[in-house]
Amino acid sequence: MKAFVSLVSSEIRITLRDRIGLFFTLIFPLIFILIFGFLMGGLGKADRAVLGIAITTGTDLESLEGALQGAGALKLVRFETVEGLTDAIASRKVDFGLEWAGDALRFVYDPSHVQENYAFEQMARGIADDFNLRRQGVTPPIEVEIVQVGGIESKGWFNLVVPGILAFSVLSAGLFAVSGHLTAMKERRILDRLIVTPMPPVALLAAIAFVRTVIVYLSTLITLGASVLIFHLAFEIDWPSYTLFVVSATLGSMGLGAVIALLVRRPASAGNLANVLAMVMLFLSGIYFPVELMPSFLRTLSKGLPLTHMAVAMRYVTGVTEMSPARFWATCLSLLGIAAVLFPLLARYIVRPERR
Amino acid sequence: MKGVLLLARAHLTSALRERITLFWFLVFPILLLAILALVFGNTGQEGSIQFPIALVNEEGPTTEGSFSAMIVSIFEGMANPNAEGEPIFSLAEPDPGEDPASFLDREERLLRQGDLAAIIVIPDGFDDRLIRSFAAGPSAAPPALQVYINRNDAASQMASGIIEQVLAGVNRQILIRSGAIDLTDEVSTDAVWIGGREEGPSYIDFLLPGIILMGFFTAGLFGVPGTILFNRDRKILRRYWVSPLTVPRYLAGFSLGHLALCSLQFALLYAVGRYAFGARLDFARPDIALVLLLAVLTFMAFGFLIASIAKTANAGMALANVLNMPMMFLSGLFFPISGLPLFLLVIVYINPVSYLVDRLRAGLGVGTATMPAPLTIAVPLAWIALSAFVAAKRLRWDVER
Repeated sequence: MKAFVSLVSSEIRITLRDRIGLFFTLIFPLIFILIFGFLMGGLGKADRAVLGIAITTGTDLESLEGALQGAGALKLVRFETVEGLTDAIASRKVDFGLEWAGDALRFVYDPSHVQENYAFEQMARGIADDFNLRRQGVTPPIEVEIVQVGGIESKGWFNLVVPGILAFSVLSAGLFAVSGHLTAMKERRILDRLIVTPMPPVALLAAIAFVRTVIVYLSTLITLGASVLIFHLAFEIDWPSYTLFVVSATLGSMGLGAVIALLVRRPASAGNLANVLAMVMLFLSGIYFPVELMPSFLRTLSKGLPLTHMAVAMRYVTGVTEMSPARFWATCLSLLGIAAVLFPLLARYIVRPERR
Repeated sequence: MKGVLLLARAHLTSALRERITLFWFLVFPILLLAILALVFGNTGQEGSIQFPIALVNEEGPTTEGSFSAMIVSIFEGMANPNAEGEPIFSLAEPDPGEDPASFLDREERLLRQGDLAAIIVIPDGFDDRLIRSFAAGPSAAPPALQVYINRNDAASQMASGIIEQVLAGVNRQILIRSGAIDLTDEVSTDAVWIGGREEGPSYIDFLLPGIILMGFFTAGLFGVPGTILFNRDRKILRRYWVSPLTVPRYLAGFSLGHLALCSLQFALLYAVGRYAFGARLDFARPDIALVLLLAVLTFMAFGFLIASIAKTANAGMALANVLNMPMMFLSGLFFPISGLPLFLLVIVYINPVSYLVDRLRAGLGVGTATMPAPLTIAVPLAWIALSAFVAAKRLRWDVER
């Protein structure tokens, strides 16, 4: 126990001295959130689209206004002239436009909105269909009633992304903690010196795991707090589950980092490999876009990635989406299992000074 | 000249020998291009996405020709298309004899947990109500189909949009068949694209210029300070300086090698974009080549700026890492930028990447120019001048003794 306490204290000092590492663990997720929060606050949320309208005739105005009002939560901005509307689209003050001069409904799009134009075209089709029915005094024979399920109040798109980014920061911090840190200790021969002392390798690993878990936990709290303060996001955190998940996810990620430490020898290579793995997982784990949008082979791959399940669990513990308790426990236990299986391997790595 | 060319070759071959350089400069941009093109390239098109949905017909066993039977068959047809390709929906329905209420309960739980995208419920008495509403005319309330969705699930929202579109099509067919609408009296709908295009660009055409610039950017941001600072810290540069090689000649060789690396990067990305994903962009134009060259030079100069500021190679890499993401995402490389607060707009407007991507996309006809044309040249040139000035003043070519 005494060895553990001494190692924890030295590990804290090493961590605090490593300003670059500390920056990336504590502040980088915050930068991520700030950029994406402001940048993508509206992206992917079709109901926040801004439609510019230039009506230059009095024909069928009632039908058109009815169709526009019935088009959901579109924000409407009116323009006196078609030129004014076109300029507003070009300068991205509105997302897309509608011109009505009495002959045809002319929807105007900006080619730069390549990812969103599909949704805008769908909305345009809905407005045009409704307009044509209203003009002929017809109502749709079948109505569609949307029933929202789930006890959790509907949140914005970014509210779902933040827990995903948190899960990603836990994963990358865990991967780097072991792979980069231990390979660096190995390269600088610090491990060689430690193993000739009575210190058990497990105590060193436990100290690293303890300090890194605390740092990662603090990092997630800072990021969550900032997203609440700056973007007024709403989370309903189940603190015991949150704590359990962050601890098991950090340990599980460190276990995966152990594999990297065993595979590569130089700290730079270990860091790079961890970076590559984290990056690939980031794009395929459904954090920024739904897994359902991917081709089937990527969907299958996505299901096998730990980050996919970590993101789902993080959304659950922050109260953003629901999850079955069985799946939550399975996720936590799997992550702890990864740590339990891989940490002893790592302990063997520590006591093998001949491996370089 | 021979020495410069030898240095250029040495720079290129040593970059290509480093597996990690190969990954970040060549493999990663291609991987990103492939992932984004596979995910967003066919948004909304059948055969590229799949949503798990459930259908509950509370009408019970459907009578052939009834409205409820028609709706069931449409969704079953969409889940089992005859044509090749993946169905847009995977459809769950109650087993024969299964209680619809308990099936609905189970599927609702899956929907809440994000394992299902939507549930369509045809309520009991739907067919009768629809016939009655037809008989009573427009004053009668039409029957409603229920679509259960989970608004906290992006996939569920997208699936509900598609389902509503399908049901709008069903409504239209019913109205046409019943003679309730006159197709000749319908107002037509036109799609117009600003910039004079006849249709919107494909996603790959929009994405490819962004990924190419991203490749150049990361090569400059990481490759230049990485090579210079690591070579300096490991005292490799010192060996050069004891030879007749001068700094300007070293720089010329280094820059040529870097240009060759970026050319290789461009060629690979272009080939993958064109032959694997069908990009149709014409890069073989002098104005586009000049923008690409300006981009390589700007980002290379920016790399020298970082090498001048950072004291060690590790500090240089950390600084590059910190600048990488804000500069990449606050430039419009991957999606258009609008509605940012002032402090982020400042970054957008001083960011050379914003000007270069604006110029490149507008030149290729896949985006509208939002920056004044002279600035798209002047700002990158200003960055080159500033970086050269700082590097000339501050960059140390040898470790301090």
